[in-house]
Amino acid sequence: MAATPVTLRTPSAAGPLGKARSTSPSFLVPAAQLLPSLSFLALFFALPAVCLISYSFLTQSPEGNVGLPPTLEHYRHFLGTSLYTHVLWTTLRISLCTTAIAVLLAYPVALVMVRAGALVTRTITMIVIAPLVISVVVRTYGWQVILGAGPNGVLNWLLLSTGLVRTPVRLLYSETAVVIGSLHVFFPMMVLPLASALGKIDPHLEDAAKTLGATAWRTFRRITLPLSLPGLAVGCTLVFSLTAGSFVTPAILGGNSAQMLGMLVDQQILVVYDWPFGAAVASVLVAVVLSINLVSIRALSRGSHSVAA
Amino acid sequence: MSNRLTGPVAWLLFSITAAVMGFILAPLVVTIAISVSNTAFVVFPPHGFTIKWYGQVLRDREFLGSLAFSAGLALAATCGAILLGVPAAFAIARHQFPGRGAAAAALLSPLIFPVLITGVALLQLFAMIGSNYTALNLLIAHILVTTPYVVRTVSASLMLADMTLEEAARTLGAGRWRILRRITVPQIAPGLAAGALFAFMVSFDNFPISMWLSDAEHNPIPLLIFQRIASVFEPSVAAMSTLMIFFAMAVALVVERVAGLRRAIAM
Repeated sequence: MAATPVTLRTPSAAGPLGKARSTSPSFLVPAAQLLPSLSFLALFFALPAVCLISYSFLTQSPEGNVGLPPTLEHYRHFLGTSLYTHVLWTTLRISLCTTAIAVLLAYPVALVMVRAGALVTRTITMIVIAPLVISVVVRTYGWQVILGAGPNGVLNWLLLSTGLVRTPVRLLYSETAVVIGSLHVFFPMMVLPLASALGKIDPHLEDAAKTLGATAWRTFRRITLPLSLPGLAVGCTLVFSLTAGSFVTPAILGGNSAQMLGMLVDQQILVVYDWPFGAAVASVLVAVVLSINLVSIRALSRGSHSVAA
Repeated sequence: MSNRLTGPVAWLLFSITAAVMGFILAPLVVTIAISVSNTAFVVFPPHGFTIKWYGQVLRDREFLGSLAFSAGLALAATCGAILLGVPAAFAIARHQFPGRGAAAAALLSPLIFPVLITGVALLQLFAMIGSNYTALNLLIAHILVTTPYVVRTVSASLMLADMTLEEAARTLGAGRWRILRRITVPQIAPGLAAGALFAFMVSFDNFPISMWLSDAEHNPIPLLIFQRIASVFEPSVAAMSTLMIFFAMAVALVVERVAGLRRAIAM
């Protein structure tokens, strides 16, 4: 760690403009700058991740020792037990619903954020981003109070006192509650990439479409929507992966009625002490999240090629 | 602004946006309202007005202990993230070398990987190497999740910084150290400060890593509130949550003043 301040010193002189004067080979400086962070990542991120995933292919003896022979038994057990596949489908369903609703609500908000006056833009940006620094536990607690069962829940109080329902509705401890909570927690991850993409669109394009007689809807469908797709892809990937991997929101708002993969990992490892099976469930979650990310990266790079062509 | 929003479409967009803002603020407003309710249980609408729950929370040893532990942990993790992240950001933003893209992707990869699973993996690693020092284990884990935020904001600031100023200083005969101190650091200072504050809050709020690595003596504040939500039904939980909301809002305002919130999270 002692090398860190020294490596900090050099870049200003060895930056692109100063390269000619730098005496050391150009890759030594960045290598020294990257060494501490990349070794830290290798030791405390890559290594444990590989260990955990390899555990899912090992056997646990009755005494709790994990070792050879290698086996696919844990994955077979996961896919062959309806209780567990149900948890997988619940996770995918909740993540998909949250992402879809986030898209529908994020477009209007992002459009207003980009096109409205400075004061409105600033206010919306504050309201959207500031909750990101409030603990998810605190925000989810607020939803527990709002969705609470019985007449003491805020929503039920509103519905009962306005006469919209006669008897309290039951929302807490359901998939709907988890979708509402996840939407609240991850909504900024959809709005912000979308707003950046919308902000980059040349306003003349939309003006030209309008001048040529296109309706507002047609302009949106043919110009705004296609040009904002990169931002939309980033937003969808973030919201889907973060929802799929969440723990706090389903634990507080879903309970046993909406069990997700994260809660299953927690249960298998901290309650049942079945490390290999817990590792297998964790690997399924990682596979879901990484494949969504790969698909989105593929789509984005193909999209940029077609624009360039 | 030629394409300002006008007409009925604009009204529709503004109404949806207003409703979404209400949705975002609702759980915060409700929590604050409940925290001053003079009732033994959480009820809505709140009855009466009292600040006794705040008095109770501020005398709660467990709460104060968790608060102090979380603040210390977040401070230490932020320092670690700066030590690791700032040099890495310089490498990414100021140099061309083979594998630069891969290095950048690796540095940000903890943001893509499910944090919950990073926590399990670290629990397994610490168990295997027999590291029983809970505070140290938590610190390592928190440095891991906060470093990408520092890398992202600082490299964004470096890319925005005007490089011709450094070149001018060099032409005028300034040394490397002097250029760094007088030109580069002042240019990236707001970005670094905002990134560091954001990293502090990421650690302070973290739940999915801490839940695997904490124990009874090292119980970060989000875990304590989570346990209380399940076991306590009086408005004191709302008072704790309100204190957390006000603290987070204060930090958000400082970040907005220093560098702008959007720049701080580089999105």
